Amino acid sequence: MTRVFALLLAAALTRQHLGPPVPAQVRRVVTLAPSLSEIVLALGAGDRLVGVTRFDDDPRVAALPRVGGYNDPEPETVLGLHPDLVIAQPAPENRGPVETLARIGIPVEAFALDDLKEVEDAMEQIGALLGVPERGRALRDELERHRAGVRAEAAKGPRRRALLVFGLDPLVVAGPRGFAGELLRDTGAVNAAGDAERPFARMSVEAAVRAQPDVVVICGFEPPPGRPAIPGLPRARVTTLRSTALLHPGPRLAEGLDDLVAALRGKRAP
Amino acid sequence: MRRSAAVRAAIALLALAPLFALAVGVGLSLGAGTLSLSAALRGVEPDATVLFRLRIPRVVLAAIVGAGLSVAGVALQALLRNPLADPFVFGLSGGAAIGAALSVAVTGTALGVAGVSAAGWIGLLPTQFAAVLGSLAASVLVFTLGRARGRLHPERALLVGVVFNSFASALVIALEAVLAPEKTQAVLLWLAGTLGYEPQPVLVAAGAVVLVAAAILTALAGRLNLLALGDEGAAALGVDVERTRLLSFFAASAAVGAAVALTGLVGFVGLVVPHAVRLVAGPDHRVVLPASALGGAAFLVLADAIARMLFRGLGTEPPVGAVTALLGAPLFVLLLRRRT
Repeated sequence: MTRVFALLLAAALTRQHLGPPVPAQVRRVVTLAPSLSEIVLALGAGDRLVGVTRFDDDPRVAALPRVGGYNDPEPETVLGLHPDLVIAQPAPENRGPVETLARIGIPVEAFALDDLKEVEDAMEQIGALLGVPERGRALRDELERHRAGVRAEAAKGPRRRALLVFGLDPLVVAGPRGFAGELLRDTGAVNAAGDAERPFARMSVEAAVRAQPDVVVICGFEPPPGRPAIPGLPRARVTTLRSTALLHPGPRLAEGLDDLVAALRGKRAP
Repeated sequence: MRRSAAVRAAIALLALAPLFALAVGVGLSLGAGTLSLSAALRGVEPDATVLFRLRIPRVVLAAIVGAGLSVAGVALQALLRNPLADPFVFGLSGGAAIGAALSVAVTGTALGVAGVSAAGWIGLLPTQFAAVLGSLAASVLVFTLGRARGRLHPERALLVGVVFNSFASALVIALEAVLAPEKTQAVLLWLAGTLGYEPQPVLVAAGAVVLVAAAILTALAGRLNLLALGDEGAAALGVDVERTRLLSFFAASAAVGAAVALTGLVGFVGLVVPHAVRLVAGPDHRVVLPASALGGAAFLVLADAIARMLFRGLGTEPPVGAVTALLGAPLFVLLLRRRT
């Protein structure tokens, strides 16, 4: 019964706890997503990280053991690192492995990171879990201050129609409800993706053409050379954002926001 | 002198026992970390947790699924009189895929929440729960459509099953275009046959289902032998053909349902283990059924251990469903050429 109740809650909340309680003093942390590692690093608790995913590319965690991927953490490896906390991002596809970790006695905290409120809540709550609540609040305030600065600056500039592209085949764009879409709004741009429900949504090429974007920002990957990224948009300026900061929902979003502003202004994109 | 079927079955099981023991030994000793058996038995952590809560449940899971799929394969091949029948022939693979894709589609809606709580009630994940519901519904549908004038026509049922599976994969591809693409992909990868770590009560329940199904099928083995003579021939020898079909269909579906719920669609085992056993032990189902159960269990335990080791350096592992065919296909061809 408690399990059913827990699962019901889990479906409704953006933060969930599984397994035994988290100790008051957390000394050994394993993270199951690069953005979560970056949150721990930004909180000044990088020395407590003992394991990360194979996708983690921050140089500060380069020497740490890898525990598998986002969907397939290897329970034996995690257990061998003796963590007193595993931080995960909840998703239907990693639910089985994460529940296994909890069942074998490892405290797990899972944080949804779909929109900016969730990202900021996660930074604050992970700060509290690690015993540095003031650092967590500071991270939230820093990001908010940064956003306010960009918004104030944007109020003076033009309102461009922009499309943030995260995949080309099929076309996947940032909708207004996800963190990328919210940051796009901060830059003063109008999201040409319309009011898609999902943080990252599919869009037909025809709809993209009809949306008439002034700028198309390709985020975090190189479009195939030799042909237009999206056909039928001869007047739109296409820029490629090589930095992956905008793909990591955590403290790097401030950097991602600056990258986005630069890309939209048509400066050489980072 | 001809030995009785029971004696021959016992000989086959005795011959397979060392293979099974070897597979279990390999399965328990391979893993991401090193494990000290003596430390684990003395209760030293984390060795004890690794052995008792990770490796043993995983080996038990592989054994249950391997045995269940193999006996179901034997039964369906006999029932449909077709050597190409596999455990998913009655549309089960298509049904499971539709169920799993739908479980992603409804995530976050009221139906999704209801599904999560229903699945949690019986200790399964929503995807597993949806896959097993889908596969069982599909098998009943295909079985019903395969019947005409009160009896099952094997060719007809096979065709309906094949058509249904094509329809289902088209439907899943269409669903994938609508849904968040990365999510459906991950779920469909699970469907390709992935062994995880299941809680103990779930393992006990699945083991019981497979054991009962195997017992029912073994009890029907003599009648399954006679089905090879054709429906009229079997009926002339006193076999109630429809009853035998119906019973073995339900027993096989229950075993496959348990396997799908735990691991998605592990291919190859249920198709090839029965043939491998027949090549060695002859066609008598009274021997083939129990021998396939043990042989299938040994095969999947070994395949899983290899799947875990294969990509260790990369920190990932391929679905066991891929390894079964990678490992089993060459072995099977070797056996086939040796014997004929």
